Amino acid sequence: MDYSALLDLSVDMGCSLLESGAEIYRAEDSLRRLLAAYGLPDAEVFAIPNCLIASITTPEGEPITRVRRVPAHGTDIQKLELYNDLCRALCRDTPPVSEARARIAALEARRRHFSAPVLCFGYFLGAAAFSLFFGGDAGDALCGGVCGLAIALVLAAMARLEAGAFFRTLVAAAVSAALALALVNAGAGRSLDAITIGAFMSLTPGVALTNSMREFMAGDMVSGVSRLTEALLTATAIALSTGIVLALGGATL
Amino acid sequence: MNVISQYLLPCVYAFFACLGFCFLFNNRGVGMLICSVGGALGWLVYLASAPLVRSDLIQAFLAAVAIAVFSEGMARLRRCPVTSYLLIALFPLVPGRGIYLTMLYCIGGETQLFLSSLLHTLGFAGCLAVGAMLVSAVVRMYRSFAAARR
Repeated sequence: MDYSALLDLSVDMGCSLLESGAEIYRAEDSLRRLLAAYGLPDAEVFAIPNCLIASITTPEGEPITRVRRVPAHGTDIQKLELYNDLCRALCRDTPPVSEARARIAALEARRRHFSAPVLCFGYFLGAAAFSLFFGGDAGDALCGGVCGLAIALVLAAMARLEAGAFFRTLVAAAVSAALALALVNAGAGRSLDAITIGAFMSLTPGVALTNSMREFMAGDMVSGVSRLTEALLTATAIALSTGIVLALGGATL
Repeated sequence: MNVISQYLLPCVYAFFACLGFCFLFNNRGVGMLICSVGGALGWLVYLASAPLVRSDLIQAFLAAVAIAVFSEGMARLRRCPVTSYLLIALFPLVPGRGIYLTMLYCIGGETQLFLSSLLHTLGFAGCLAVGAMLVSAVVRMYRSFAAARR
């Protein structure tokens, strides 16, 4: 058996799991099970949010290690479910590596993404509903939805310009806050607070913060600190640009 | 009327908010509905437990437990990882607003408000995490118990 190819395959799977937003312990555990199913129960796997290390010793006594850097990523539930299913299936059937590769290719062909208009609708709906949720009225919801839509467009444009995550968040929050201020001044909305925070829900790192706490409790301290720092940095970006825009507009929250 | 505006409407809003975020996280099909119901359920528990415990941290904990139980059940039913449901269903509860306000106080130089809001936000996120982890730990213990008996 080609252990080098097997390790490559496993690390690719682990990378895909991390990229789709799986927790650290899930990715590590899946990889360990996969390698154990292929007759390598002593494999070492270590993951943090942006790096994956896996090391095995072949039956001939030769050690092999792979290190893979995981790029910045969002959350993709469909990808997570597909790869999780595939990982379980591979553990059960342990097909040859070439067939496992073919299954990954088939899986990638099955993945779907929402089209841009549907995605924009998602941003609109989420922001509008959260504006209502935070005490806005129907007008506020409409304004919140429009601001959420603006965030979606700015994020897409900034991603095309290959801006970093911090700067992307900064600009998206600034545009959204300015728009919210303009809409309130124009009389379309009443509660600036409900509109801005509703629209910001797609930017605020609430999930990242909660996940970081879960990493801490699962014992993955490095991952917890890394996610906590990221959450604080993102929140700072939002607060910075909002603070500046609102101060320029002469409003207070 | 009071019940509607106090309990029903916020849960409906939470439902639609979760539905919107399903699109963002590429959650498809029936899973979207399950997540959104989970989000509404969590918020209902949060609101309904308010008169009983008088502490929003405990409320958050109870709501997280309710969401986690619901998500574990649905994940078992549909054979997919529990994360898919947990992540979005927790969305109305996660302290996105809290962390944002915290940093707003920070750059505004309001140190006292910043510190108290930071500690409260971290505590809130911690309570959610404990609630979710507790349920998954109990499920795991039950599984190994059942496996040992077989």
